[in-house]
Amino acid sequence: MATTLAVTQPRRAVIDRAWRAIGPGVEVLSSHDGSPLTRTVKRIIDPLVLRLRSNTQFSAPFVAPGVAEAMHEVIVGNGPELRAAAAWFEILKRERRRLRITTGNAQELYFPVCFELAVTKGAPAQQDPAAAEAVLRDIHADRDRTAIEVLNQHLSDRHVVTRLSDQLGRSWRDVRAGTEITGPFMAGLTTVLGPADSHTSSVARQRVWNALIADAAPYNLGAAARSEASELPWSIVELGLSSVEPQPPPPIVTGADRDRPLNRAVADRVRGTLRRALDRDELPDIPMLCAEEVDRACAPWGLLAEDKQATLIAGIEIAACLAPLADAVVTRYQLAGHIQARLRKEAYVLHARRYLADGGPIHPRQQQVIDDLAAFERPYLSRLWARLHGRDVWQEPCDDVDDVRGLLDGVARSVSLDHRQRIKSMLELQVAG
Amino acid sequence: MKLVADSGLWSTGPLAESTPLVAVLEVSGAVLSWTVDDPSGAASIAFTDLHEADWLWRILGESGHTAVAAALGDRSPDEAQTVELAGVDVHAGSLEPLRRLALGHWLRRWWPASNRDAIAALDAALLDAEIALLTVAVQDFFTEDTFDSDVAGLIRPHSIALGSLASEGDPRVTDLVRACSELAEDIGVELDADFGAVPSRAGRRDDYALAAGSDAAQRGAAIARGASSVNWAAVPPGIFDAAENTVEWRIEPAGPGAKSVVGVELTGVGSPVGIAVQLGSSGIVGTGVLDADGGATIPLVDAQHQPITESAAWDHDWRSTTVTIGVGLDESPQSRERIRDFARARLNRPAADAFLAEILAAESDY
Repeated sequence: MATTLAVTQPRRAVIDRAWRAIGPGVEVLSSHDGSPLTRTVKRIIDPLVLRLRSNTQFSAPFVAPGVAEAMHEVIVGNGPELRAAAAWFEILKRERRRLRITTGNAQELYFPVCFELAVTKGAPAQQDPAAAEAVLRDIHADRDRTAIEVLNQHLSDRHVVTRLSDQLGRSWRDVRAGTEITGPFMAGLTTVLGPADSHTSSVARQRVWNALIADAAPYNLGAAARSEASELPWSIVELGLSSVEPQPPPPIVTGADRDRPLNRAVADRVRGTLRRALDRDELPDIPMLCAEEVDRACAPWGLLAEDKQATLIAGIEIAACLAPLADAVVTRYQLAGHIQARLRKEAYVLHARRYLADGGPIHPRQQQVIDDLAAFERPYLSRLWARLHGRDVWQEPCDDVDDVRGLLDGVARSVSLDHRQRIKSMLELQVAG
Repeated sequence: MKLVADSGLWSTGPLAESTPLVAVLEVSGAVLSWTVDDPSGAASIAFTDLHEADWLWRILGESGHTAVAAALGDRSPDEAQTVELAGVDVHAGSLEPLRRLALGHWLRRWWPASNRDAIAALDAALLDAEIALLTVAVQDFFTEDTFDSDVAGLIRPHSIALGSLASEGDPRVTDLVRACSELAEDIGVELDADFGAVPSRAGRRDDYALAAGSDAAQRGAAIARGASSVNWAAVPPGIFDAAENTVEWRIEPAGPGAKSVVGVELTGVGSPVGIAVQLGSSGIVGTGVLDADGGATIPLVDAQHQPITESAAWDHDWRSTTVTIGVGLDESPQSRERIRDFARARLNRPAADAFLAEILAAESDY
């Protein structure tokens, strides 16, 4: 085992080496020491050159020599396009300055476009500010708002709203809890959220997850949340998923409570989809999106696919174990233990930077944010739900157990970062004020 | 290299020191720490997520990175486990830019500016601008969004200050501000280009008057008086003078009873308003909050929560009195002294890794 591992190489090192082999002409996409910028890797190399979505062998953190060689060839083979992309980026940056555009991160926004331009148009002509200006205007046009205006117009039609309300009434009645017991599902979660330190145990873990996403328990629990909520192992109000128990049907146009995922109006859910759809090429068909969202809002947990429902239940179980500011927490799952250890370390960074004192506020003004941190499960589940909703809409699966565990971990990381930035800004307000 | 399980994470072993002597940096998948005044520059690395630490080969070499990943795999860092990795070491100097960045973040929060001890404050705008540029220079280590990769957040508050700094004509400052405005343009932060703007100059008020709060403790006849020190970790930075014994307290008669008057010396532009003050003296307590001048007048009560009488105050032995500013916690005065020594040494002879804000503070000292 040691010998096979010893010859694998870290993928970033492979990319770095190939990048340097391209030679001059890509400086604007490189850091001062000649390695590709992190954004070059994330926005150009991974998605557009290595195309990780279809070439999954290129995405492993460590790659075998054959794969490394293939990656090297692909990157070096794209040298002319990458040089052209770099030239386009210089032009766009110059144009950005001339047009006094200051919104958005230039690398983040322009890198993919530059590579597309390089592939479709080749290197930029010497002087073509008009083309560059057109590209910039297109990038900075508010596509988001356009789609949301179409939605608003659609929902301003009284007949449309009546039709959607009727559909909602029917769909809501269609969902009923079955009689299957939930015990086996909960027991299976212990495996899914538990350790796997050998190949055999990770195969077993995947097999258990396959069984869990076919289990009726998540559906039944979600259906029970709207009739016999007291039979659930948790309170959907305490979890912050709904403001009342049992969960009422959501409204179509305006929601009483936008903060609670299960109470959010159908229109707000579609708005969320449109906001997240910025990277998608085509504008979705709004009437169809609305009709589908009505069914989704009526489905248990507001999610259509069973694997999303199962992931939410896993998230609820994890969330109960997370408390960044608490010393000792009982973590029933190994994954929760790991996330909690990480959250503790991140809270320590705040302490070491004098943003927190002994796990509490260092200034009375921070109290509200600290209280929010104590109730970590609410923002955690709210964000997890939003991610699952996105995957549900775009039909991206949650059937890979490692991917699901990564999602449960990643949501905690992003909520923690968000909270810590709020704690920090509550203190820095004072200096500015 | 040796990896140990530490509080549920794999780590190269904790540092011997703790805050406020520790400079930390959060990168993708790890938190790095250094003791600020340790000339060896030895780092402690705690992995929050080994998979995210895809920069590890840059400091351990490719074989070292592979060896760490192979040795740890999906092994949980539970209990007291130790993993020895023969022949795997951090390449000399490879962490140096990160250590300097961590030090910059530490300087922002713990620099012991003090009028009383004559330790000049650091210009906050210049320091943040230099930290922002350093962050971009080590962007390889920030694959994921982390607490310390928020470059825009560092620059944005200083948009006006940076503009006016550049107009002062010091070429070192102008170069730094120019580099920073290029960066700002790229990341979508609007710097104030109006060079005629009124300077805000936050954090560099060398003409700052001595706090009025300390005067408050001088007036009237006192039943008792004393001084104590502010625990730095108990209060936000940029408010209090970082010398020792800057908290003066007096017990005074007040009508039929007694009160305490507390004054804390201020340095910097932060406001002390609302920060807690607690006085304790064998059975007698008083709590209050500071006003804008760093002063507070606090009623005193006994163990039965009854206001104490003037005669009881005269009879009381006040020698054991403690006054706590901010949060109640233990902090060693020796650590604070070490940090003041460290700061003085850096001002006396700017170090090779000195920030421009430190160099300017040292020059302003004459």
